[in-house]
Amino acid sequence: MEERGRVAGELERLIDGGTPHKSAVASQVPMPPPRNPRSAIHAKSPITKELGEEDVGMEEVSVVIDGRQPSWLNGVELLEDAKWNKHVLPTGCKGIDILLGGGLREGQLTEIVGPSSSGKTQVCLHSALGVADVHLGVVLFLDTCNSFSPHRIAHMVNSQSDTLVKEGKEGRLKRIMSSILCHSLFDIFELLDVLHQLECKLKHQVKSSGNRIRLLIVDSISSLITPILGGKNSQGRLMMITTGILLKKIANEYNLSVLVTNHMVGGEGGSLKPALGESWKNIPHVRLSLSRDQGSNVCNVSILKHTIIASGRTAKFVIDN
Amino acid sequence: MTDADDPRAWIHGDESAKAMLARVLTERSFLLLPPLHRLPLRVGNVVEIAGPSPSAKSQVLLQAAVHCILPREWRGLRFGGLERMVIYFDLDCRFDVLRLSQILKHRIKEVLGSTNNFGHGVQEGSQEYDDELLLACMRRFLYIRCYDSYEFIAALKTMHSHAQTESEALGVGIQFLMIDSIGAFYWIDRASQPSPYGNCTRKIMSFQNLVESIVEEMRKFLEVQPLLVLASKSCIFFAGSSTTDVQRTPTTWSSEDRNQWRTSNKQIEKFLYREYMPSAWQAFVTHRIHLQVSDKCTYDRKYGTMPIYMSKWVQPPLNVNDQFAVGDGGIFLIT
Repeated sequence: MEERGRVAGELERLIDGGTPHKSAVASQVPMPPPRNPRSAIHAKSPITKELGEEDVGMEEVSVVIDGRQPSWLNGVELLEDAKWNKHVLPTGCKGIDILLGGGLREGQLTEIVGPSSSGKTQVCLHSALGVADVHLGVVLFLDTCNSFSPHRIAHMVNSQSDTLVKEGKEGRLKRIMSSILCHSLFDIFELLDVLHQLECKLKHQVKSSGNRIRLLIVDSISSLITPILGGKNSQGRLMMITTGILLKKIANEYNLSVLVTNHMVGGEGGSLKPALGESWKNIPHVRLSLSRDQGSNVCNVSILKHTIIASGRTAKFVIDN
Repeated sequence: MTDADDPRAWIHGDESAKAMLARVLTERSFLLLPPLHRLPLRVGNVVEIAGPSPSAKSQVLLQAAVHCILPREWRGLRFGGLERMVIYFDLDCRFDVLRLSQILKHRIKEVLGSTNNFGHGVQEGSQEYDDELLLACMRRFLYIRCYDSYEFIAALKTMHSHAQTESEALGVGIQFLMIDSIGAFYWIDRASQPSPYGNCTRKIMSFQNLVESIVEEMRKFLEVQPLLVLASKSCIFFAGSSTTDVQRTPTTWSSEDRNQWRTSNKQIEKFLYREYMPSAWQAFVTHRIHLQVSDKCTYDRKYGTMPIYMSKWVQPPLNVNDQFAVGDGGIFLIT
């Protein structure tokens, strides 16, 4: 927040007509308070001597502004970006993949909501396994409720039919495990810290497709946020929205997919509704609802919200224990 | 200009009323799209589309955007669009370009399909036809994503010059300005107050002041270039969250009662659509419409069961509720 204040202060100082840093030029000519700094460049000034100095001042302002804000795009550039950068990652659960038209999309935040033991962690582990197995990249698993279990992944690997004859089971397991980075956190501030560090690292790393992070999983983001939400205090919602926006920013700028899980709470009339309230509903791109009948292997998944597919569609998939 | 020697020229008007009406109606045409079709919307209007989370607000914006970027006529085929540019501010960061291109392709195929029935023989080159037209339309869609209120204000300040260069390059003007979720940064801006930087006489950037600056920047832009502004606003207060405000009559918790209670209680609705934007924004808005998802579903043979959405004009208040559903090609009304 101090960074934003500093940026805002700098921006205001330059735009409101204060003297810029490089004051050698501007000290001779007082800079007029520009309402539209860029358009002043195109304006024809009658006094040619002042035109040059004003222009240089305006150029400086526009360079600073362009550096601070995200860039303007048009529809064609957006389509190109979606085609070349935003691929689809399969989750490994056939029902979900068919329902979503391929799987989790890079650049999008997907939320899985369900009551306890409805298979949310299984879906997360399956997706991590799927991405790590096919050499797609690295998976970062942020675990907030000790749900990550290497034994379960090993069990899943062993139970899948081994089509590769060359690589032994152990070698495959080793490769998969080394592509999944697991980090435990128990606090919303730790999560924000990790995300900021991740953002810095991604911003400065050299583009290499080998070890690129493709999938970021936060298992049970709701267990971090529900303790701070509630009542008239708005600080909790501030942290929740900040986390959501940061996740979406990382997903879009660095082309990775984010998967979070959420639990359910009691709603009116005794029905269950997703936790985290109304403000959270605007954050994820895709919201899926899982449910499982008692003692059965079959999970039902339905779409609560999706950017393209109509909500209400359902599918079933099998979870192996 | 008028010659000072000829004062008579001052009395003769520039154009007749009929000519002026014809000119204004073509330049500033009305927007009549479902579900906004009940009122004629023109440039200069600011429409706020409010609703809780799954209520198709972004679909309304996308529908209007597609109508704007489609051409009036393309190689002899009539598409009926406005052929103007759209500026889209994505504050929610949830825009999906594939959904926009899906709606666009659907509309193009509809028109191509209906002319194919008359045997115009465009089938051979129809794929390239589609792509060229699609790209031409997408070029008229200007998009920027902001993660912050400060980025939003900075983008508004540079919008004018960018829009000018684009419209000179493409040769068309701008008609619509869309903001997806004007209240996206509400909680962040409300709760955070950066310490005054530099001298203490600089005004503190509270939420009130931020929204005032946003509205001022938009007004400045609209003075130079009149546009129709469509802004979606999400409802962030859940109706049942405060039990002291809502009178609950003790009933049995059966599912039918729950549905009736939820959709018919006026007090809950008032709480749900509670206004949280400051007065600067409220004064800027000229029209308001409320959207909601209803419990009923409709069955369509192509899309299966689809939820029905309801819309209601609140400012100016009309007593009509419309019902619509969202398909692959956009929104269509259900009578």
